[in-house]
Amino acid sequence: MLPAGCSRRLLAELRDALDACAERQRQLERSLRVSRRLLRVWEPAETPALEPTPGPDTNEEARPPARTPSPQDLKELELLTQALEKAVRVRKGLSKAGGRDEAPSRKSRSIVSPATTASVPPRASGQAGRRASETKPPRGVRQTTVPAKGLPELRLLSVGDQTCKARGAQAAKPEPGLRDQQMAPSAAPQAPEAFTLKQKGILLRLPMAFRKAASQNSRLWAQLSSTETGDSMDATTTAKTQFLRKMQSGWPSSRLCAAEVEAEVGRLRKACSLLRQRMGEELTADPVDWMQEYHCLLTLEGLQAIAGQCLHRLQELRAAVMEHQLAPWPEGRLPSAPSSCGGGADSIWSPQLLLYSSTQELQTLASLRLRVAMLDEQIHLEKVLMAELLPLVSTQEPLGPPWLALCRAVHSLLCEGAFRLARRAGRDCRAGLAERGAGGSLRGTEALPAVQGGEGLRTRRGHPPGRGSACFVPLPNSSIFPAGLESPRGIIGAQ
Amino acid sequence: MWPQVGRRGPSREAQKAPALWRLLFHVLSPRPADDAAALPAPEAQARLVKSALRSQGYPRPALVQLPEDGSQGSRELLLALSWLLARGPLLERLLAQIRVRLGDEMPVCECEVLASPGPPAPRVEADGCVDIRHLQWLMGKLRFGWRNLITSQQEHCALLGKVHSYTRGCHSDRSLGHLSVTEAELLRDPEGGRQLLRRLESENARLEAALEWRRRELVFWQWMDTVLDACPPEASQPTFLPRIPERGAGELELVARELQALQEELQAVVETRRAAWEARVGGWGPGWKATQRASEEAVRQELTALQRAWERGGGLAQPHGPHRLVRSEAGTLGGPGLRATEVIKALRSQEACLEAALRQLQGQCRQELARLVGALPGFIWILPPGC
Repeated sequence: MLPAGCSRRLLAELRDALDACAERQRQLERSLRVSRRLLRVWEPAETPALEPTPGPDTNEEARPPARTPSPQDLKELELLTQALEKAVRVRKGLSKAGGRDEAPSRKSRSIVSPATTASVPPRASGQAGRRASETKPPRGVRQTTVPAKGLPELRLLSVGDQTCKARGAQAAKPEPGLRDQQMAPSAAPQAPEAFTLKQKGILLRLPMAFRKAASQNSRLWAQLSSTETGDSMDATTTAKTQFLRKMQSGWPSSRLCAAEVEAEVGRLRKACSLLRQRMGEELTADPVDWMQEYHCLLTLEGLQAIAGQCLHRLQELRAAVMEHQLAPWPEGRLPSAPSSCGGGADSIWSPQLLLYSSTQELQTLASLRLRVAMLDEQIHLEKVLMAELLPLVSTQEPLGPPWLALCRAVHSLLCEGAFRLARRAGRDCRAGLAERGAGGSLRGTEALPAVQGGEGLRTRRGHPPGRGSACFVPLPNSSIFPAGLESPRGIIGAQ
Repeated sequence: MWPQVGRRGPSREAQKAPALWRLLFHVLSPRPADDAAALPAPEAQARLVKSALRSQGYPRPALVQLPEDGSQGSRELLLALSWLLARGPLLERLLAQIRVRLGDEMPVCECEVLASPGPPAPRVEADGCVDIRHLQWLMGKLRFGWRNLITSQQEHCALLGKVHSYTRGCHSDRSLGHLSVTEAELLRDPEGGRQLLRRLESENARLEAALEWRRRELVFWQWMDTVLDACPPEASQPTFLPRIPERGAGELELVARELQALQEELQAVVETRRAAWEARVGGWGPGWKATQRASEEAVRQELTALQRAWERGGGLAQPHGPHRLVRSEAGTLGGPGLRATEVIKALRSQEACLEAALRQLQGQCRQELARLVGALPGFIWILPPGC
């Protein structure tokens, strides 16, 4: 059993990590649900119904029984209908001459708004008029005889255009809506086809109101993000700095605040990893002449100096924290891993575009991102576990079975488990033998039985030359010991 | 509440104080507060506000002494709010946090994900000791969770790809070209679409208010100057809040330990190499001094460049923040935007670095364990293969 403090801290870390993972999973599940639903057949309630009741909107309140179209309406309707018929004829002539190569599926489809599918034109128009909330999305597909006339451009565009108001509110655009109304009586009402994104997704159009709002939104964001220069902005900036100065006056500003300490510690952590990375590069480089060698030496010395400076700075920070009892924001959870990016303030507030060309690419990108996050977390956990567990191993009472179990568990936690998914799982337990060499940890890969037979004994205290050789030890019981199994002796003890 | 800030006059009734505490709490919360029962009580909010302001370095001690019940202190709270506003682009940052997202967004880095960790699960603190096997089990659970996450993510990307390709050519904005899931969803579900539109419109109103605020901002700062001048001079020493034990100190210790280890390694390497070098070069004449100095200069420049990578304000060489996904067949869209191939390249190099770092750490552990175990007589350390 681990001591209480250690347990608490480690449990907290691991649970934090599990919570974060679960949260990501939850968000992903939400998005998955939405996307899956989109790709299925859209519910019939969302596709236009043929009976007078339009769409999924609760129609009861939408149809006050008292509302009847006036004769004026009917007359207008009649006129418009005639005009529309003529338009259809003209276009029909044009399109036949044109001979378009539309996708076959498109020819037989058009998108209509649900409210216009009513075979009772005045009623429908009245309802549609009421349903003027512009977010009326285009409904599914309704097979009418109209498309059979081969008029692809009769595809209804911006559906939310209040096209169905027969009240003459929109003399400019009654055409599309009323056309459908006109078609409806002439067409035998047919069963609505199921709408799937796959087949008919190309035909969708966003409602006009939404488009307007969205473009206004991006325009406003662009305005907000633009770095305006000008007298007024300069004056404001000066006023702000002056205000800050006055706020600060009288109090020693050299005191560090917790947020700054946190930021600096983050920078120093990044520094450490960059220094280490550079050191690795220098150590593995192979100098061809003395100049490169000298360069390498100087670099390493420089790295050492910088590391010393960073350490010094860190000690200053530590002293400041101790002295002033700086406490960070208690609710906030410190990021469990240092993100490798700078994390600085972004002056571009609206999202930029990320272009991808194939699903494969997108998947690669997403999985790489997750892998980086995972590795970040793993490194952090590794450090935390190292800091907590290794001291335990060295201070606990050795020779007892619990200690051996501890060692084995610590090893499995700290030294194994690359998260590589393609790697073979589990540990098959041909034992490799370790050598107690000059501080090296080694792995031989010979299977134990073969080993046992041939070679002679060597005590561990010997120093066999070279890295590849292994020490052999006679095992008191069965030769193969799965590293994960509990045995009364724990790790092999030869006595 | 934001549009009202600009219109708030110099009236400072006592009723303003609770509203200001709430406002400051929402502004300072690390996570955009969801309207829910998760909000702490007003006194707790006030305490957290005080603590947060202190941790950011708020210079005036009068804030700490304010009563937490909201009976007074509206002037000081107003000063605190102005201080936050003056220090950085607070308004824009807040607006960006609650922005209506119309596209399918994918963050290209991990900062945001970590910064908003989600509601902390109610944690029952086990005071007891745990067996290390429990930790192993938790670790295994974590790995499994990550595996699931990656699989789900793959599926999600496949679905996104389908939606994007099925709605090619639908968008009114040519640079986007296709609908996003949000947009397609609004077409499928009219009620949801109406809600989205409402949210969009209210955001537009907020943005316009923000722009209006910008135009009038100077007046506000001039007024705040007078407010500050009207404050009685502070005489008392600032009192400190009790220290809240937190992992912040632990982070510092970890980094300190790493740096220490790094420095010792470097020291060892440098000593041997320097000794070897001196031995070789001892007999060399002064002729090579010039080249020596040139090398020194070159190294100095390289290391300065390296240092810039982590210094304050060091360039963000990497793409940052959430990006809206746009599917375009290779080469067609020459417009602005990040290319996925570039991001993939950057991520791969990051991955390689991190993997190397992890392997190195694991190797360190292995050595340490072998050393600890090997120090005892009669034991052999047997490793599973592949380690």
